[in-house]
Amino acid sequence: MQWITLFQKELLENWRNYKWIWVPLAIVLIASMDPITSYYLPQIMEAVGGMPEGASFELPDFQPSDVVMMSISQISSLGVLIIVLMSMGTIAGERKSGVSELILVKPVSYNNYITAKWAGLLVLVWASLFLGMLSSWYYVNILFGVLSFISILKVVFFYGLWLSLVATVSIFYNTLFKTPGLVAFLSIATIMLSSLITKIFGQRFEWSPNNISIYIKEMLVTGSVSADLLATALITIGIIAVLLIGSIFTYKTKELAN
Amino acid sequence: MTLLTVENLSKSYDGKPAVKQVSFQFQPQKCVALIGPNGAGKTTILRTLSGLLKPTSGIVTFNNMNANDDLRKHIGYLPQYPVFYPWMTGSEFLVYVGKLAHLSKEEAMARSEELLSLVGLTEAKNRRIGKYSGGMKQRLGIAQAIIHRPRLLMLDEPVSSLDPIGRREVLTLMEELKKEMTILFSTHILSDADEVSDELLLLHQGKIVEKGSMDELRKKYQTAKIELSFQDESATYQSKINSLPSVVKCHMERHTLHVAANDIAAARKEILMAASADNWPLTSFTINRTSLEDMFMKVVGN
Amino acid sequence: MQELFNEINWAVIAPFLVIQAILLLVALIDLFRIDKTNGPKWMWIFIIVIVNIIGPILYFIFGRRQ
Repeated sequence: MQWITLFQKELLENWRNYKWIWVPLAIVLIASMDPITSYYLPQIMEAVGGMPEGASFELPDFQPSDVVMMSISQISSLGVLIIVLMSMGTIAGERKSGVSELILVKPVSYNNYITAKWAGLLVLVWASLFLGMLSSWYYVNILFGVLSFISILKVVFFYGLWLSLVATVSIFYNTLFKTPGLVAFLSIATIMLSSLITKIFGQRFEWSPNNISIYIKEMLVTGSVSADLLATALITIGIIAVLLIGSIFTYKTKELAN
Repeated sequence: MTLLTVENLSKSYDGKPAVKQVSFQFQPQKCVALIGPNGAGKTTILRTLSGLLKPTSGIVTFNNMNANDDLRKHIGYLPQYPVFYPWMTGSEFLVYVGKLAHLSKEEAMARSEELLSLVGLTEAKNRRIGKYSGGMKQRLGIAQAIIHRPRLLMLDEPVSSLDPIGRREVLTLMEELKKEMTILFSTHILSDADEVSDELLLLHQGKIVEKGSMDELRKKYQTAKIELSFQDESATYQSKINSLPSVVKCHMERHTLHVAANDIAAARKEILMAASADNWPLTSFTINRTSLEDMFMKVVGN
Repeated sequence: MQELFNEINWAVIAPFLVIQAILLLVALIDLFRIDKTNGPKWMWIFIIVIVNIIGPILYFIFGRRQ
């Protein structure tokens, strides 16, 4: 019951501060940008000029799966940035402003408080990702060729796990620090560091969550879910669980006022 | 019966002690004032009792409470500067915290209405809290603190930031509330404490230096003094007054003679008799009690 | 340039423009209703209107006071 109350408050807050409008729209724009610009690339090149006389720009032969992956790669950079920035104050900001002093002297369980915040954030992230990929799918179908709806759903499912991890990292830092800017910085730094480590020690971290888009692309090409993808997904879920438990633990041991 | 027992409570920040070995007990339905200058540790004590801070050492126990019961169910707390969600309305906020305190939706709504009218916010209940004035926020703060009918209500400097009208409103409200619950509030304004509290805890540098009811403390520390002024040079009479048997001390301050005595009634009688016998040109004769501030200085001085 | 304009398939571009317009509108409405922003309001009007797509998003992330 208390969890539902906290969760509903998150939804209402994100509605009142327009996150439910601008975050999905921003993700939709980010996801549609590449399909459109890739399609119009020849015209754009021509219009911009700089092509030698008589030479024409040939559109590389983009497969639908290539274009979907372009959308994913845009979400991986700009989308991740948006998720981190819009979640940087979700707990930290409440502590900084002092409103948590009123909330947490009520018999509120820290488990409920943290997980409701987390779930409220995740619902927004998943809905935005779904809408973003839906629009990407729409453009792929009218501009590049047919791609089944089921494969887009699979992409959303597996890639959503990665974005959930990003959101959970942000929640984790939110429980550690009360400066939203620091939370955003550390979240981005952590994501970049893990990507760097994955790249350098590629062999040893085959199933690193950072690799999930590689396996998603494989899935789009082959049409089947590989064991690597499943393993990576499970590991991602595992890390999310550990971070979430870590967040609750940190918050429990923390002093909530100065 | 004791409601709450605090034993040897200490709290340090980074090794610096803010509260040292504080012990006290509360009886139900009492209003207790925690008095002390800024930095004496008042807020730290309230925050520790509310669970926002963890005590460095010491035990806090509620009467009739199971070991695994959540202490927060029984306390309501209003910080000195309460901060709300500015995007919520007053009514939404009360229902929200009511539900967090395990009231059902219906209970929370009914109780919110009741409290909004108690604190005089019925008209503003559907306005966003971001648009509330300071006094309105303070009253909403009291409402949110008692929504779950706590046994102990803690208020941190509830009136010090208010204008005279707001202060009067809040003090009247506290007068009402203490019929139903124990109130512990901090203040550095002694007259506020005098007005509503049954008991005082005087705090200085993290220690309780004195406690008791207002009357007890008055008896213990308050001495009366007589102030005299004369038409001609007051100094002329100083030695005469000093020679009266019940006068302890007589000194002059800006044309006025200040007379201290242990038995003020006797001193009054002697001075007035001398005055009428010698026909002193008295222009004023006043008996002043030492102010609360003087009293506090005296306690702290010890 | 004219050619490019004609060649554009409006069914492709229209949703894009509509979304941009919604973002712009919601950001401006919020800006007028909100009490205070981080930094002066006129600066945010400028950013929201002039900076394509990113303007409204910048406003929502950094302009609104938490």
